[in-house]
Amino acid sequence: MNSAVEEHITILKHKDFKSDYKPVWCAGCGDFGVLNALTKAMAALELKPENLAMIAGIGCSSRIPAYTSAYGFHGVHGRALPLATGLAVSRPELTVIATGGDGDGFSIGGNHFLHACRRNANLSYLVMDNAVYGMTKGQASPTTACDWTGSKLSPQGTGQPPLQPLEIALAAGAPFIARAFSNSPNELARIVAEAIEFEGFAFVQILSPCITFRPEQLGWKKRVHEGFEPTDDRAAAFAALAEDDGFTTGVLYRAPRPRYQPERRESVDIETIQKRFEVCS
Amino acid sequence: MSPLNDLGSFLAHAVVLEDEAATRYRELADAMAVHNNPEVEELFAKMAGYSEMHRAEAVAHAEQRAGGLPDLKPWEFEWPGDESPESGRLESSHYLMTPFHALELALEAEEGALAFYSSIASRTHDRAIRELAEEFSAEEKQHAEALKKWIAQYPEPPENWDDDLDPPVPID
Repeated sequence: MNSAVEEHITILKHKDFKSDYKPVWCAGCGDFGVLNALTKAMAALELKPENLAMIAGIGCSSRIPAYTSAYGFHGVHGRALPLATGLAVSRPELTVIATGGDGDGFSIGGNHFLHACRRNANLSYLVMDNAVYGMTKGQASPTTACDWTGSKLSPQGTGQPPLQPLEIALAAGAPFIARAFSNSPNELARIVAEAIEFEGFAFVQILSPCITFRPEQLGWKKRVHEGFEPTDDRAAAFAALAEDDGFTTGVLYRAPRPRYQPERRESVDIETIQKRFEVCS
Repeated sequence: MSPLNDLGSFLAHAVVLEDEAATRYRELADAMAVHNNPEVEELFAKMAGYSEMHRAEAVAHAEQRAGGLPDLKPWEFEWPGDESPESGRLESSHYLMTPFHALELALEAEEGALAFYSSIASRTHDRAIRELAEEFSAEEKQHAEALKKWIAQYPEPPENWDDDLDPPVPID
């Protein structure tokens, strides 16, 4: 039984949001920090696991729903957002969090990302970006620098400029855009909590180093710096991104607008549905 | 509400510092279990046990205080770094790490806690906070000294300790 002190300090309840599964991530993976921050944010907001749904696609980071005590769905590669959108609009009383990596979200699921930004359903989208396909053992992803030669598939680099997730989210109409770093779990928890509380689509790019295939990313700790000041002015947000070195953290843009929430239709029985599909009677 | 001038805040920091240290050691133990490194797994589990014991002591201190503790959000704690100072650095872990490395990681964490409490003891103007900070600082110093003796029992690993004949390298 917990003492009065333990009951009072809500941050101590972050363990209630972790499952009994041991993460299979590599030792030292940035995603451990994300799991910590996420569960801390859930505890800080005093959410209830039974009212939470974690939706993911495929990849190392997409395993995260299994490591929480929330309801979870590990869907098809790149399809976390359509699943999460469907759930968010059909069960608006739930807190819906979509998670995944840069490959899952910006390549395989890139089209869904664009439309989730403009559609603005009430959900948070946390992308753990390590600029590599880790689960398939280290190929260049959409956010990999053009000159990265760490994969035999692109021995001279991809030669293609990396995708800029924040710029794309802003251009596509996302009303909440932020960036955070997995090695700063308390600051990340603050941003995740803000994203969860935001009414609408909240996108957070989380720089989360891949210690195995991109060990040089351990150096991110020295490069990451605070700097974004939240604005509701799109032009100001674009201007901030023009100056961004890719390592600026904070909430970049916060401009609430009406969220996508279609009217609930009256439910119908299966016979009525069958009749609607009858070609001839 | 700073731990420097509010006793409740100071005690909340002390409880959460030990709680997060224990959580981190459990995470590290789990990671070693997953990667079949039972020797280091056992060591991290032992460290987690110690941190849980210290957490219980910090809770007992907090319970003696009348007036309760502030319920701070994770981002409202005033840590000297990105997270609480006794949380072993995740990025220092490796699936092939040896007990020597694990104890070095733990020593760095204990020294982080020692520096935290020492800094508060030297800066606070609150007598009760200073006395507690000095007490906790002395305990952390003892833990660090014990770890140094423990480390001395292990030979320093060779330079190629992380060599893996079947490494997780790109396969494309």
